[in-house]
Amino acid sequence: MTVKQFFKGTAFKCLISLLCVLLVCGVFLTVMNSLLAVSAEERFERAIGKIYGKPVRTEVLAVENYNTNANIEEAYKIRDDGNYLIKSKGFGGFDNGTVTCWVVVELSGGSISGIGKVLIDSNERQSYIDRVSASALNQFGELYESGIYYTQDLITNATVANTKTAICNAVNGAVDFVNAKLGNVTEDPYKDFDYIANIQTVLSSHIYNAEDPVGESVIFTVVSSGYGHASNFTSEITVNVSDGTIRTFEVTACGSTGSSFDTTAKNNVAAFIGKDLDGILAILGGNTAYPGNGSGAWLEAGASESTYSLYNAALFATANYEKCVPAPDEEGGEE
Amino acid sequence: MGTFIAIVLAAVLTNNFITAKTYGICPFLGVSKKTSSATGMGIAVTLVMVLATLVTYPIYTYVMIPLKIEFLEIIFFIFIIASLVQMLEMIIRKISPSLYGAMGIYLPLITTNCAVLGVTELVIGDMSSVLGAASMNIGWAVLYALFAGLGFTLVMIIMSGMRERLNYYKMPKAIAGFPIAMVTACFICMAFTVFSYISI
Amino acid sequence: MNKYKKITLDGIIFQNPTFILVLGTCPTLGLISSAFSAMGMGLTVLVILTLSNVIISLLRKLIPNEVRIPCYIVIIATLVTFARMFLDKFIPDLYEGLGGFLALIVVNCIILGRAEAFANKHTVAESAVDGIAQGLGFTLALTAMGIICEFFGKGSLFGLQIMNFKIGMLATPAGAFLVYGLSIAVFVYVVDCFERARRVKANKLARENLLKEAV
Repeated sequence: MTVKQFFKGTAFKCLISLLCVLLVCGVFLTVMNSLLAVSAEERFERAIGKIYGKPVRTEVLAVENYNTNANIEEAYKIRDDGNYLIKSKGFGGFDNGTVTCWVVVELSGGSISGIGKVLIDSNERQSYIDRVSASALNQFGELYESGIYYTQDLITNATVANTKTAICNAVNGAVDFVNAKLGNVTEDPYKDFDYIANIQTVLSSHIYNAEDPVGESVIFTVVSSGYGHASNFTSEITVNVSDGTIRTFEVTACGSTGSSFDTTAKNNVAAFIGKDLDGILAILGGNTAYPGNGSGAWLEAGASESTYSLYNAALFATANYEKCVPAPDEEGGEE
Repeated sequence: MGTFIAIVLAAVLTNNFITAKTYGICPFLGVSKKTSSATGMGIAVTLVMVLATLVTYPIYTYVMIPLKIEFLEIIFFIFIIASLVQMLEMIIRKISPSLYGAMGIYLPLITTNCAVLGVTELVIGDMSSVLGAASMNIGWAVLYALFAGLGFTLVMIIMSGMRERLNYYKMPKAIAGFPIAMVTACFICMAFTVFSYISI
Repeated sequence: MNKYKKITLDGIIFQNPTFILVLGTCPTLGLISSAFSAMGMGLTVLVILTLSNVIISLLRKLIPNEVRIPCYIVIIATLVTFARMFLDKFIPDLYEGLGGFLALIVVNCIILGRAEAFANKHTVAESAVDGIAQGLGFTLALTAMGIICEFFGKGSLFGLQIMNFKIGMLATPAGAFLVYGLSIAVFVYVVDCFERARRVKANKLARENLLKEAV
């Protein structure tokens, strides 16, 4: 077959027509693609509209954190009605994971009037997250009261308690953020304290007791985040101001998965009595990370995850008692 | 290992292509009158699904996305599938005429089978509900295609068994053929809904 | 004019792609759980089918016979890609409702089937009418089944909640198979009766004519 024959043959004709069709279609689609491309902005607005329930105009706000148990990731002011839409990541979930929620904070008359909607966006390691029902999330709206912080006991539904803690933290963080934007900065009182990574700071409190008959003391009520399977523990810790040792350590609310673990964890607390910060740190060899199941002197008794939560509470109390003592010039001359 | 099990269970049982996604219904209704032909079709579809995913996934990820021509995906994919089917037909005819006799007649039908285009489109889309925390890669994509094809074959074989039995009964003209096949398929789907209780 | 009437009637009733030819089953079964998606799919196919019929009919003398199928596939794929961009831009709700089935219109047997069986043998006007008629047949069938499935399966119509009573199974693929199968049976039965009546009438007419001639 000569070259000339090839150009006259059917094969060549087929090839040319196929290429022509392909070329025309390709060019057409490229033009259309640039004409009809949906910009990232448009997509974003649609996504916001879906979360918010209707298409809205938004204003992006600078992100700042006013609550150590949550991280505000994105924040928008809805121009149509003045409400806020916050994407907030709550800490302290199951297995030290997080839950990221979209929270619509409703405003009226310059202050927060309620929680419009809570939607779970994503999560880390929360295995039962799909059991968080819509009605459970609606409780945030139903239970809203000015100045309260949501706790896992408030929100009822069947899932791992820690997951609820993380969701509550996310919503609390969003509320704090909006309050701060409105000028009511609720400074986290424990913001500058040490060892707060595993402490539910907004739920914790302390009293300075100068008149204590046994000696000056600071009484902490610490809510420590759960670890692994265990959930939050609330403990009342009395620290001697004179030498920073723990005088009493009482667990007032347990978060273990079973009562036997609760008992074990409560018994383990004995190891903290009489120890100061260095003494507490020495228990895990100066390490503050979770040592793993069944290692360390007091962790052998089981309930190691629960005990780790209490260990964090003890660390928090002994490391920060000095910050709770009022400035020395008020009680000067005692020396 | 968890991802592997999740993919296998999702592809074969919980998200079966026929009973949950309703992909590939044409061959499911058209070629399921005899078990032998249903098996042949199922295996041919599985083969093409795996090969198509093996080719389209890397092309999409490593060529089309960097060049920003994702919008041409449908043309590319259907062309790749059509050429693959043609090539496969030629190769099988050359290597094993007996296999060609058993499978060859189904191959041309596969080009316009939504299960094949469906799986190539699925694996480049959002698969997070199946994969969980793991991210998509070529290995998972091909594995998903393989087991989706096997799930397809499984339902084809079940269906053909039921239709073979149905041949013994005389039915009014309006019900015979497609209507009774679809009611049969309805029962298979209902049976498969129990698998939706599987959670990993 | 009679020719166009026949094409239209064929497309909607006697050669209905959904009930008589049983083509394009995947999107039908996948989308009839929602009347809105079903109707959207029907209209999308209508537009694409009409356009592809017109284009292929225009090009039928230019495209060599040997490569016609690849050419048709490229043209249809282009139209589908265009439809996808268009819906994504202007009707995002429908774009999400159709999901994966939008891309799968490429392999919808109705479109390639009509291109191969009709458009490459007929004029542009005839092909356009055929595309609209077949598309209408598909749309009507899908919408009717979509309404049945959504009404009984979800208690709503086009997304509007009407009643609390619902048979959830009808909104699943199993219910789609059931409704589709029974719809075919009813449709075939009705068309059958209709055709029998027409045949009886035609026979009667022929007999009378014969008698007249004999007299």
